[in-house]
Amino acid sequence: MERNINLFICLLFGVLQTLTVYSQVSKVEVTTNALGNFELQRNGMPYYIKGAGAKDHFDLLVKSGANSIRIWSTNNNALLDSAHHHGLTVTLGLHVRPERSGMDYNDEYAVKGQIEYLKNEVLKYKDHPALLIWGIGNEVDLRYSNFKVWETIEILAKFIKEVDPNHPTMTVTAGIDPSKAFYIKKYCPSIDILGLNVYGSIENAGANLRKFNWDKPYIVSEWGVNGPFEANTTSWKAKIEPPNGIKADQRQRRYLELIAKDKERCLGSYCFLWGQKQESTATWHGMFLSNGNPTEAVDVMQYCWTGKWPQSRAPSIINISLDNIGWRKDHVLAPSAQANLSIELQKYNNKEVIVEYVLFPEAFSNKIGGDIQKSPDPIEFKIVNQSDTELTFISPKKKGAYRLFAYLKNDKGQSSVANIPLLVE
Amino acid sequence: MRLTIQIALAILVCCTLSCDSMREVSIYEPSKSISAFEQFPHKTLFTGSEENGIWGVKNNSCKEVSFEKTNNFNGKDHLHIKWDDSKCSYIALGLKWSNFKGKNLKPIIKSAAIELRIRVDSGVLSNVPMFFVLVDYGGNQCRANINYLNLEGGRIDTKWRRIRIPFQAFNYEKNGVNMGNIKELRIEFQRKGDVHIDNIVIVPHEHNYKKTKEIFTKVFDSHPIQLGSGKEYWWGINTKYSSSLQFGRSFKNESVVIELDKSKKAPWNTFGFSPYQWMRVDISSIHTTSALTFKLKSTELPKLQTILFAYTGKKRKLEKILNESHYVDKGNGLYQAYLPLKSLIGYSEFEWDALKEIRFKILEGNKVEIGDFQLIEFRGNPKKPTEWKGI
Repeated sequence: MERNINLFICLLFGVLQTLTVYSQVSKVEVTTNALGNFELQRNGMPYYIKGAGAKDHFDLLVKSGANSIRIWSTNNNALLDSAHHHGLTVTLGLHVRPERSGMDYNDEYAVKGQIEYLKNEVLKYKDHPALLIWGIGNEVDLRYSNFKVWETIEILAKFIKEVDPNHPTMTVTAGIDPSKAFYIKKYCPSIDILGLNVYGSIENAGANLRKFNWDKPYIVSEWGVNGPFEANTTSWKAKIEPPNGIKADQRQRRYLELIAKDKERCLGSYCFLWGQKQESTATWHGMFLSNGNPTEAVDVMQYCWTGKWPQSRAPSIINISLDNIGWRKDHVLAPSAQANLSIELQKYNNKEVIVEYVLFPEAFSNKIGGDIQKSPDPIEFKIVNQSDTELTFISPKKKGAYRLFAYLKNDKGQSSVANIPLLVE
Repeated sequence: MRLTIQIALAILVCCTLSCDSMREVSIYEPSKSISAFEQFPHKTLFTGSEENGIWGVKNNSCKEVSFEKTNNFNGKDHLHIKWDDSKCSYIALGLKWSNFKGKNLKPIIKSAAIELRIRVDSGVLSNVPMFFVLVDYGGNQCRANINYLNLEGGRIDTKWRRIRIPFQAFNYEKNGVNMGNIKELRIEFQRKGDVHIDNIVIVPHEHNYKKTKEIFTKVFDSHPIQLGSGKEYWWGINTKYSSSLQFGRSFKNESVVIELDKSKKAPWNTFGFSPYQWMRVDISSIHTTSALTFKLKSTELPKLQTILFAYTGKKRKLEKILNESHYVDKGNGLYQAYLPLKSLIGYSEFEWDALKEIRFKILEGNKVEIGDFQLIEFRGNPKKPTEWKGI
């Protein structure tokens, strides 16, 4: 009897918990405020997105002043739970396969299969309390030729309108041009918000949207430093990456002068990337290193989101050169030759900093649009002499393209990084 | 003699008996039909490790393959594979499929599918990053992936679930794969996973989905071509934000009235349009004998930059600043502009079958109306755009 009572209590508790979770579903909508500006409202309150493309480091994200994350697919529901646990909302991506991945939008079987699969994902997640916005497709327009992909986007957006009135719909493009604005406006009327992945092109994105007659709101769904696809290259086609200090300054200016200033149409943004990934290099977009250490970009985002710098700031590499030739130029060394790398630092409030130098083979990749790239393994090399700002080393014996990284950190692990591509021939 | 009689009798008896067992047949009676699927002899790819050959089962840091004897779908064992591609660029298994005999799939290509059973040890998945690859004897490959429409229950869980990969789902035409001489089936794995697989067989399957050949290209092969018809295909004109550019009415077709507000730091001085409804416009058969022309109404000639964009190609942008040599004065402040496409630097590298946009930037000048954009025939000297007698 006692066992039955316990079982009943457990069941009752379970039902109540389910009801509680259900009742926590947020009502999110796009409205216009008294000034006539677009505004996102969550449960009736204005909600400006201070977000990041993130899969971890949620504690630090919240501490830095963010309120939302963007994820690109539904393949990891633990992320939604974790975000909710941290009080973060989620722009949840429905992964619509881009044409460049082999998807054929003239193939009815492939198209219907994808749509049915994603409809099922919508039903699965629509009542999750962390859900803020549906991100239908990411950069499906990148190098595409079959404009029928917009039919799929609209079918999904329309379906969401039918089954989930609580969450707005967004599709995300790689930059913006008049043709994309036209197609989305004309063929995807159920899309509420345009998501813009803009790196170098963020400079004119807001003005261009208005010129291209996009008359709904937008979110800067990915932004950061200029991407590898926009970078200058060496004569051997290695991408030239600016030092982290320069990249951090660029992030700060872009947020404060471009994103935060567009009060009329911009509903917020997601910086890229609150984490680490290989994209031409292991340090290009990531605001963390592969060992999990935060870089000065994290400090910048705290300043952007809260107006305050953290008490302990990461040291920053603001310049790097090889044999007194700056990072923007080509660097060619003979095999087994002695060379000198130097860096300029901004220590901020750090008394001591540690510098480490690591050599990698160049990671040439033809991948685009954030497609997965493999990281190379480091190579041993001979160090002749090393100080906080100088490294004398012997170039590899084997001819080829390399990249020499300088990693800087304080005693808390807050880091910075810079690199120089070099050719041994 | 006696032997001869005996043989003759034996033959007579045989003939008599044979005749007795004969029946009447019509010469038009059809023979019993056997379907192409039934005739196909290579229906089994994997039912167990002893019966069917598999390569790529050697374990390494990226994959762990084993043949497990418990909880099989059928047979004595099944395949269990765990993989992680973080350190490998390629992870695959190959099914020798009738010991690499050349298999002719053509007769069954529209009526059959590869079927397999799949399960996981725990949890529920709606997809697995695994791909099915048919390889012909020329080394050509075509691929297909798991489609939600042919995944039993729409999920992969701890039950044996049926997956079908219709042969029609493989991109064999695009990749030039000889479906009449298939060597093997490979299963490729990406990212990370852990699945059990059993009973890979060929089954009859109806695939009622179409592949269309829609292309979003408008081909023009004769002159004249009216460009930019329809205001919805224009950009740069948004009076909510700027009155510098507005649609005009002076000409028969779309036109823009330019009245720049020069007090602004970033003047609103650029507009553009799609040649045809934002489709890819193919003028590749006539581009060498074409000129862009438009009408202009102004008291003085402005300084205009014309920019052409393509959807694809290495060179996606061609530009030209127009000067007096591009205009014919028609009197009363009316001008006709001519810009031969051949005069654009880099025109031979431009993909003329993927023309996307025509854009104008007003560099100098004000109070201008331009419009009625056309592509006309031009066979004159590109350096002397107004001197061809044909215009």
